[in-house]
Amino acid sequence: MTDSTPTLSLDHRPGPLFAWLAGLWRFRGVLLALSRKDFQVRYKRATLGVLWSAALPLLQSTVLVFIFSRVGDFGTGRSFSYAGYVLAGMVPWVFVSTSIGASTTSIVEASGLTDKVWFPRAILALVPPCANTIMLATSTVILLIGLPLIGVPPALRLLLLVPAALLAIAFSAAFGMLLAALYVYFRDLKFLVQAVLLVWLYVTPVVYPPAELGPAGRWLDWNPLTGITGMFQSAAVGSPFPSVRALLVSVLATLGLGAIGVLVHRHHDRLFVDLL
Amino acid sequence: MTDGAIELTGVGKRYWQIKERSLLRSLIPFGGPNRTHLWALRDVDLRIDKGETVGIIGSNGAGKSTLLRLLAGVSQPTTGRLTIRGRIAPLLSVGVGFHPEMTGRENVLVNGMLLGLSKADIRARFDEIVAFADLCTFIDTPVKFYSTGMYMRLGFSVAIHVAPDVLIVDEVLAVGDVAFQLRCLNRMRDLQAAGTTIVFVSHHMHAVHLLCPRTVVLHRSRVEHDGQTEAAIARYHQLLATADDQDPDAPVRVLLRELLLADGTAVDDVEQDQTLTYRMTVRFDKPVDGPGILFRVVGDDGTLAYSMQTSIGELWRSYAVGDEATVLVSFRPRLGGGGTFHVNVAVTDDYGTVLASDPNGPSFYVPPRYGVGGVADLEATITVDGQTRTNHRWARIGDEALSAELPSGGGRLKG
Repeated sequence: MTDSTPTLSLDHRPGPLFAWLAGLWRFRGVLLALSRKDFQVRYKRATLGVLWSAALPLLQSTVLVFIFSRVGDFGTGRSFSYAGYVLAGMVPWVFVSTSIGASTTSIVEASGLTDKVWFPRAILALVPPCANTIMLATSTVILLIGLPLIGVPPALRLLLLVPAALLAIAFSAAFGMLLAALYVYFRDLKFLVQAVLLVWLYVTPVVYPPAELGPAGRWLDWNPLTGITGMFQSAAVGSPFPSVRALLVSVLATLGLGAIGVLVHRHHDRLFVDLL
Repeated sequence: MTDGAIELTGVGKRYWQIKERSLLRSLIPFGGPNRTHLWALRDVDLRIDKGETVGIIGSNGAGKSTLLRLLAGVSQPTTGRLTIRGRIAPLLSVGVGFHPEMTGRENVLVNGMLLGLSKADIRARFDEIVAFADLCTFIDTPVKFYSTGMYMRLGFSVAIHVAPDVLIVDEVLAVGDVAFQLRCLNRMRDLQAAGTTIVFVSHHMHAVHLLCPRTVVLHRSRVEHDGQTEAAIARYHQLLATADDQDPDAPVRVLLRELLLADGTAVDDVEQDQTLTYRMTVRFDKPVDGPGILFRVVGDDGTLAYSMQTSIGELWRSYAVGDEATVLVSFRPRLGGGGTFHVNVAVTDDYGTVLASDPNGPSFYVPPRYGVGGVADLEATITVDGQTRTNHRWARIGDEALSAELPSGGGRLKG
């Protein structure tokens, strides 16, 4: 403990930005503790725990590969493994979509907590991406085990998974933080997010390589997830690397959403509780 | 230090009540204004020095919870400024963040961190926390298997081991058994002696009286009284009795009501089993045939302690416009766990419809019976291997028991 007495001084104005960021850092232990709790509680009763969380992307990929290789002609005539491509795209997709969905309602659902003690509310929105990182790691390991089994030999490009995963986590955190704040004010946002996520899967190159759509595929670059899933897929099966524009959109969207999220949270941090 | 531990200057808090919180609604304006506001707190000036213990009392909706939220730093004021110097431990409820599926140990970690402790702090104090909570071997059991008492003890134990400079306590003593309440009171006295600033919000007037030399009364969002506790409690009871929330269109008006002892003196602090008389004068603004009376005693938390209603159409005469009637209700409070209670008497018509009610009728405080909790008094006798303990002795919590570390149970041991 430091010698100086901490002083809390509040009026109608939001506190200074650096103080908010310092608070976020000071309560990082709470983020880890809440994330661990979230994870433990979710898998406490399931013996195989984490494996279940990893089974979801696997199952979803299997279904999609089956459908798209039978119905469409996506399965053939390509230099990389289609099944591996879908699986590699599904891993970050499931992570991002479940994290964002959970983050959106996080502040409102924790009203029993926010009413009683103060800590930056952004922590609550960061818990789902933080807790889901274990799920992301597990499904990545399963991906690494699965790739040689479906005939993709390991290569140095797999190292790209690390920055790809970091970007996926950062994007989920930034977007989730903003959505969580907005959901306090707009309770119909939950349904909007669910609807958007439903469509988002199909406008993200998870089940089809963007190049195969022809000129229309270029529009996908404006989807911030294109860069993220593209990096995963490129790292896993050696599909074409996402374009510079797609990567820039991913990074800038993350930074932009993060910045707006920080500003909104700094302004409303001690006002959220009034509306819960 | 010349600075107070807690300083509020001109603090007000306005809440927006938003009818429909929807994105669609905010983009397409229709159907009139979507929000109204409400001042939950206005012009509060309050200065609490380091080491002081201050009670905060007031009826429901007076602004206590809002003030607590501000003091806990959870919410920010709309006007004015609030300054708190020192580490704050808001004890607004026990066991914040406890999850039933997690063990006591895991919950202590999360709870402690939420209260501002570091992991190292918690590890250093862990044994002490568990010892105070008196959990023995249950610390690695999920808390869903805990009894209420164990759960409360663990939560309270974490909070007091935060070693705060400023402790903000809300109604924690209202839960748990008497032994636990005493333990909390004792522990708070230790903290008091150690120079901790304590803000204590409670409906439990006797606990406020025991703990706080100074008490603030909140009434209708403002500070109504700030000073010595006895005077504050008297003011609070007075406010409860005079608050006039009568419907101006009611067909029967309550002119006067008071709570009297057998010798005719007005009271608000009574003993168990003492005979009390409630006297009410009403005037009829409409003719009523055979009115009925509904008598209720309601606890401070809204629980019905007792009610009695005259049979419909029974024994009463007819009243014309302008007639006055005097209602006398004689009763003896035998309310096991004690507390503050409100007398509520309603005049009904011969079908039982309430014509006039007295929602803020007189209230009284009755001390708990020794070792007894709950509203009813079942006059239990407990015998263990021939040793019998009864609860026929009336005593106030604290007067004797607080001087002892823990009550041995109270009452007498026979045989």
